[in-house]
Amino acid sequence: MSNSIIKILALDKVATVLSMIRQNGGVFGSLYKLYRQEELKDGKLVGEDSFGNKYYENPRYFYSRNRWVEYSDKFNMNYDASQVPAEWYGWLHYKTDLLPHQDPGRPKYKWMAEHTENLSGTTGQYVPYSTTRPKVEAWMPKPKTSV
Amino acid sequence: MAGALARVVQATKTHIGVVGPLVNINNGSVRFQQTQTKTKFGPLSDSDRVFTNLYGRHDWRLKGALSRGDWYMTKEIMLKGTDWIVNELKTSGLRGRGGAGFPTGMKWSFMNKPSGGRPKYLVVNADEGEPGTCKDREIMRHDPHKLVEGCLVAGRAIGAQAAYIYIRGEFYNEASNLQVAIAEAYQAGLIGKNACGSGYDFDVFVHRGAGAYICGEETALIESIEGKQGKPRLKPPFPADVGLFGCPTTVNNVETIAVAPTICRRGGAWFASFGRTRNSGTKLFNISGHVNTPCTVEEEMSIPLKELIERHAGGVTGGWDNLLAIIPGGSSTPLIPKDVCETVLMDFDGLVAAQTSLGTAAIIVMDKSTDIVKAIARLIMFYKHESCGQCTPCREGVSWMNKIMYRFVDGNASPKEIDMLWELSKQIEGHTICALGDGAAWPVQGLIRHFRPELERRMAEHAAAHGPSKAERLY
Amino acid sequence: MLRQPLSRALGLSPSRVAPLTARKFAEQVQAQPDNVELFIDDQPVSVPPGTTVLQAAAQIGVEIPRFCYHERLAVAGNCRMCLVEVEKSPKPIAACAMPVMKGMRVKTNSDLTRRAREGVMEFLLVNHPLDCPICDQGGECDLQDQSMAFGSDKSRFTDIHFSGKRAVEDKDVGPLIKTIMTRCIHCTRCIRFASEVAGVDDFGTTGRGTEMQVGTYVEKMFLSELSGNIIDLCPVGALTSKPYSFAARPWETRRIDSVDVLDPLGSNIVVATRTNEVLRILPRTNEEINEEWLSDKSRFACDGLKRQRLVTPMIADSRGNLTPVDWEEAVVAAASALRDCPPDKLLAVAGELADAESLVALKDLLNRLGSEKVCTEQYFPLEGAGTDLRSSYVLNTKIANVEDADFVLLIGTNVRFEAPLLNARIRKAFIHKETDIASIGPKVDLTYEYIHVGDSASIVKDFATGSSSHEALKRLESAKRPVVIIGADQLKSAEGPALLAYTQELALRLQDKLADKEWKVLNVLQRTASQVAALDIGYKPGVGKHLQDGPKVVFLLGADAGVVTRESLPKDCVVIYQGHHGDVGAAIADIVLPGAAYTEKRGTYVNAEGRAQQTLPAVTPPGRAREDWKIIRALSEVCGARLPYDSLDEVRDRLGELSPALVCYGEVQNNNYFAQARQLAQSLQKPVSGKLDVQLKQLEDFFMTDAISRASPTMAKCVQAVIKQKQSPY
Repeated sequence: MSNSIIKILALDKVATVLSMIRQNGGVFGSLYKLYRQEELKDGKLVGEDSFGNKYYENPRYFYSRNRWVEYSDKFNMNYDASQVPAEWYGWLHYKTDLLPHQDPGRPKYKWMAEHTENLSGTTGQYVPYSTTRPKVEAWMPKPKTSV
Repeated sequence: MAGALARVVQATKTHIGVVGPLVNINNGSVRFQQTQTKTKFGPLSDSDRVFTNLYGRHDWRLKGALSRGDWYMTKEIMLKGTDWIVNELKTSGLRGRGGAGFPTGMKWSFMNKPSGGRPKYLVVNADEGEPGTCKDREIMRHDPHKLVEGCLVAGRAIGAQAAYIYIRGEFYNEASNLQVAIAEAYQAGLIGKNACGSGYDFDVFVHRGAGAYICGEETALIESIEGKQGKPRLKPPFPADVGLFGCPTTVNNVETIAVAPTICRRGGAWFASFGRTRNSGTKLFNISGHVNTPCTVEEEMSIPLKELIERHAGGVTGGWDNLLAIIPGGSSTPLIPKDVCETVLMDFDGLVAAQTSLGTAAIIVMDKSTDIVKAIARLIMFYKHESCGQCTPCREGVSWMNKIMYRFVDGNASPKEIDMLWELSKQIEGHTICALGDGAAWPVQGLIRHFRPELERRMAEHAAAHGPSKAERLY
Repeated sequence: MLRQPLSRALGLSPSRVAPLTARKFAEQVQAQPDNVELFIDDQPVSVPPGTTVLQAAAQIGVEIPRFCYHERLAVAGNCRMCLVEVEKSPKPIAACAMPVMKGMRVKTNSDLTRRAREGVMEFLLVNHPLDCPICDQGGECDLQDQSMAFGSDKSRFTDIHFSGKRAVEDKDVGPLIKTIMTRCIHCTRCIRFASEVAGVDDFGTTGRGTEMQVGTYVEKMFLSELSGNIIDLCPVGALTSKPYSFAARPWETRRIDSVDVLDPLGSNIVVATRTNEVLRILPRTNEEINEEWLSDKSRFACDGLKRQRLVTPMIADSRGNLTPVDWEEAVVAAASALRDCPPDKLLAVAGELADAESLVALKDLLNRLGSEKVCTEQYFPLEGAGTDLRSSYVLNTKIANVEDADFVLLIGTNVRFEAPLLNARIRKAFIHKETDIASIGPKVDLTYEYIHVGDSASIVKDFATGSSSHEALKRLESAKRPVVIIGADQLKSAEGPALLAYTQELALRLQDKLADKEWKVLNVLQRTASQVAALDIGYKPGVGKHLQDGPKVVFLLGADAGVVTRESLPKDCVVIYQGHHGDVGAAIADIVLPGAAYTEKRGTYVNAEGRAQQTLPAVTPPGRAREDWKIIRALSEVCGARLPYDSLDEVRDRLGELSPALVCYGEVQNNNYFAQARQLAQSLQKPVSGKLDVQLKQLEDFFMTDAISRASPTMAKCVQAVIKQKQSPY
């Protein structure tokens, strides 16, 4: 009965919002999250990868929105999807329900490179270089040996 | 080269006609307008021979020459002056003996123009390289004084101060005889300062060539004397304007020069009494090839070819009926087949009428054992080898003709190529600087004109034995 | 050797001189004989006697095909391509060699003519390899063009199935010319060029008939400073450019008319470019200057434009190493150095490749900053009339008129390498006009015979005072059109003013006696392309004492001749270098401002005879380099001494204000005031005793003389090859 009254009065929603705010670090924390992620969610922290990205799950949300990532603070506003490492990618995209650390079928070899994000548009991006000789060879001043 | 020269001067004549200011052509041709009355030509009587030591049976040196009448009254001839000598030559109707047949008197008269202080030269063409021709060598080795005296007379006529005798490199003995004769003449005071006591200074030099056929072409010969590559010059300017060392020059054949003193002594009318009108005089004929006694003989002009061969060369081997063809004037003239040979008269006009040319009057007789195609191919190879390479049609055309001709020998060719070869020869003829291209084209034209069935037979035979020639691919 | 037969031929067949005598002075002396009228394709044409049929046809616009004929070379008449039918002539005649005759009727389009051409064309192609796809001449090949126009449309060359074509071994004639001798059609143009124009009798033919080959007989480099011209002359691809081989097709290139600046003559050139890259340089016909020739340095040094370039502004860091910076930083640094410098300690030096626009901008800038110290690298005496009268520092006779001279006196100059095309003119006069040449100075090979008077400077004095009894002086005094050329290098020494004074005295003494009052005798041959413009604008010649004053800021405008060195400057002096090549100047600079080379800007250059000409931009300046006057304009803005022009036209208006001659493009004005110059110089006639010497003595000295040619690998190869050739027994 009281439940129904709560529902009628939408107090449960209020409780959810309050719990969200609590979970996200208070009012200012929540405002920051809203600013950064444009949404506020509550959920269970299921894991964290080596970059500090946190992965959450909350079955209350409908399918496809019930798993998400909160990017590590060190990325600031410059986060993008390529910062999710490959082992979390499968879980995040519902290819598997097993979390990386629970999945027995994931070998870990020494030669496996660390995940790198997509560097396009940054100073670290790959730039193809020309193999033809330059049309004009610039003069290189001789370095001075004595000051 | 002399024979190939033949057409040069004929062409030259027309050039001169166009040049106008260069020459007045009319003063020479007037006297040829007489009508023909004489009908029987040859044999020449001994008393009328110019070259009395043609066979080398007598002494060729000065003493012997004097005994044969050389150097007789040379001084008096000299003193009669230029005009008299030139007139006498014009009366005689002497035409150049080098092959072109240009009237000598007229040629000498071109030298009368003021030269602007430049000396004039006489150049004697003793570069007798035409296959089949060996008349000048007989003169130079057996009668050199005729030539030396001729140089002096001709030199007086054109006002030259020196004569250069350009002698073929291969003529070693001839050059040495000639040199001895010149030395003798100098010692006797016949040439040199105050030649023959006439008060006229005249020098004679011998220049030995290195054996290039093209150096028999007059301008190439001049280049060669100047020490350059023997390559023909462009005409105009003609040598009478700009010749040896840039000075007016007349280039004459040895025979032409050698008969001049005799003409002057015995008179132009005497010389003109031999042969047909416009073809007057006596001439040295070389008869070689398939005859019983090959020889060089002096005969009257316009003597029938058949009579010449029968009388002097002992007839064709195997009899007249064994005759296949004759090249009547040195290798550069087109051949004539037997039926033409029966009647043709050996003079300039007679042979032109038979679509050939008198050239140097070197008669090459070929009997039925001859591979006529191969014979002509060999001649073309000669021309290919001797082409100077200066102008395009001759350089490229003759070597191409040579390639085709050697395929024709085997029959490894397409019958359509016969027409093509004819056209090629026409593309060469008349398109070159000198007459070597013409000389190379004519034998081919003669062959195609008279022996086309033979060429086609060979091709058919080859095709039957080896299948169609690769040459067919292009058609 | 060549002279005798040619002059002889000239005396008799005026046809050969006719094309060479289309000069003003020649026409004055030759009485014009009556013209000859003839008909070409039924069109009447009236030409002077001695003209050839081919030239007469050209007058009415009928072009007769030719391979061997070239209007500036002797007639060979051997290709037979120009055969034309003449009425009443049984055979076709060679139009290139046949003088016209009255009433001649030439048919250039008759059946006979066309058949003759087709026949010749067929013969030429018989032994010509059909390798057009890999031939560098493809697209600009006379044989290609003419076989299209006059050749047969099908081949009859059956022998291709049997014996094939002739093949000829290639020759090695040096690092500039690539030979593919199988393609040769034996037109002998190269042979005639070598012996007539270049004066190097290296080429000839060997062999006869089909075995005839054009070549040097023994393998030998073509030791000439004009060798590149045989590439242009070759009607087929037998002689092509080695540096340009397989680089581009002619239809791919853009051609921009420009002017050469590597020698003082300002030869006219065409710059061929593709995708913003200079591929080659070709001569452009200018009868007044270079005819249609070009010297090897001007032609082949263009690959130096792509090496050692300054592409970005640079400033020396604390250790003194030049490091690339932005324009802003460099301009601010340079401007503050200029602004903070006391005006009397500010010096600007212009180099040999500077254009008039940047020269005037720099001078205006320095003047606005209060300094008058703008000078050029090349010295010229300032005593007497100095540079006030233009007549005392240019070629007054003018290049084209030199070929009408009858006696040429060279004083302390090796014209062959200082101005190769002027030397070609003198040689042309020597060969075709019986001109004699005398030289005072070191004995060098000028490609023609000359009277060597001696190498002592006192001879000039003796000549000027008339006290010499030398034959050359007598000849000079009796000459109707004498020319005296003094090399500007001689005027650098302490005796320079006296030498110039004596030369002026000599030349003016001769000039006063001449019947032809228009004829000028005195010529000063400058060494560089910028000098005349700089002197016109008002630059002081020579750095001289300004260096001893201890300048605080030195602005080098392309000054690479090594006149200014670090050792000659105070330690704290700031050197600003503006130019296009990293050479002597940039190496000592503290601030480097990258400028544009002559192919990259529209610039005015005044050649040694005082003729203003302009270059046009063929490519953009590389990297961040900019046009020179714009850089100076930008500097002025930052210095606070703003120059009053914003566009090229405004700069040129300013040039016109200084001297109208600087903007009269293509024109050259007659100089006057010779007498005044002579008068002013008279006090300077002091005894001289030195020896005259020239910088460029041998061919190997010729190739690398300025920043561009020093950067050129081709030029370096030439020097190597020449030195190697000199060691060879041939």
